[in-house]
Amino acid sequence: MVEAFAVASGKGGTGKTTSTLALGMALAEDYDVTVIDADTGMANLLFHAGLDDADVTLHDLLIDERDAAVSDAVYERFGMSVVPCGTSLAAFEAADPGRLRDVVAELAADTDVLLLDSPAALGSKSAVLPVVLADRIVVVLQPTVPSLSDGLKVQEYAHSYGTDTAGVVFNRVRPDENVDAIAEQAGRYFGGQTLASVPESDAVRAARREGKPLLAHAPDDPAADAFREAAARLDVRDGDGRDVAERFKSAVAPERI
Amino acid sequence: MRIPRGELRRSRVVDDAAAVLRAVLDEELTGYVVFEPQDALLLGETTRGVVTFEDGVPVLAYDTEREVGGRDGLEGFAVTGPTRAAVHAVDADALADAHEVEEFRVPPGEPARVLAGDERLAERTTDAAPAARREEGRDRSAVEAFLADADAIEEIRSEAREEARARASEWGLDDVLADDVGDSAAIEPGPDSR
Repeated sequence: MVEAFAVASGKGGTGKTTSTLALGMALAEDYDVTVIDADTGMANLLFHAGLDDADVTLHDLLIDERDAAVSDAVYERFGMSVVPCGTSLAAFEAADPGRLRDVVAELAADTDVLLLDSPAALGSKSAVLPVVLADRIVVVLQPTVPSLSDGLKVQEYAHSYGTDTAGVVFNRVRPDENVDAIAEQAGRYFGGQTLASVPESDAVRAARREGKPLLAHAPDDPAADAFREAAARLDVRDGDGRDVAERFKSAVAPERI
Repeated sequence: MRIPRGELRRSRVVDDAAAVLRAVLDEELTGYVVFEPQDALLLGETTRGVVTFEDGVPVLAYDTEREVGGRDGLEGFAVTGPTRAAVHAVDADALADAHEVEEFRVPPGEPARVLAGDERLAERTTDAAPAARREEGRDRSAVEAFLADADAIEEIRSEAREEARARASEWGLDDVLADDVGDSAAIEPGPDSR
């Protein structure tokens, strides 16, 4: 089985990478999880997962002449398979976004849950592809107007490609913010369900500094609890890896932007 | 509301209040801008409002005709179409008293949002505001007001849909567009339809 989720926000700073790894670790209790840093232009998952010095990254898989095997870019960390992306601008420019489809299809063949950490932008083909390729999106929001507005936009892009919404995570929620009322209102516009309301936490920054996912650095932190709750609410569906691969193959013409 | 008279820097008719707010933010104006929507003028009405600024960041809003301040005041002169904007500079100390009128204060990003419908500028303005004021932008009532405006939200969504389709053509992703994405505003909760 495999279901591919794009973790998306439309806006930066909502804690998408933290959320991706936290959901990944929580889901890894029950599933084989593969996390891919699909934010190829502004990769940062490697820093969150202690993979700063990874030799082979997603970039190598997206550049024709590098000739790297997909498995070379997969690192077993924190109970998950992690595919980091490099931070070189030159590599980003040389990367063929269309090849992401093949990489994702190959990884989908051998996992239960694929999580694509998606770019906080919608302005290019490489930014939109994760949302196109995924079965469903998880929208990470802050309870602010700009974040909700950008979340709505990314959801519309996803729906335009037939990618539904699995749910919404309200992240970095401050103690004085009662998200319940906002979540109820937002539920009229966002698909799926409210997966969790994750409190703002110093542990998130500390985890990032230490190069560990939140759930590894501070498993007892309230934010970690909230992410586990979100993962538990996510109804992962049985899918056929071959279907996913097929869909990807027929989906995207492999061309440069 | 009493605002000390400032030194007129410029007065011109603009198509979009965002341009004025952006310029004022960039030049870090301390002072005020008088907005006079021109359409109302043609109809023989006077609509006029003032927004004050500290270092380019909006502080107060006041509808001088209806004598209403704060967010409600802003809505009074949030009229689409050309607006005359008169930009005045005032000494910061001279404005300090006026700025203490709590009920006329607006979150930093609110004028960009209400007068120009420009979320990006609202966000940029909030980012430029002092830390204490950035919190105002996160006031829950603004979020609730935003979510309560179903028409505005449908507009954001339908624009995004159109943009997604236009760009899909650009990027050669036409054939993966879903056929069945309708124009309906509501998403049915529960199991989805893939």
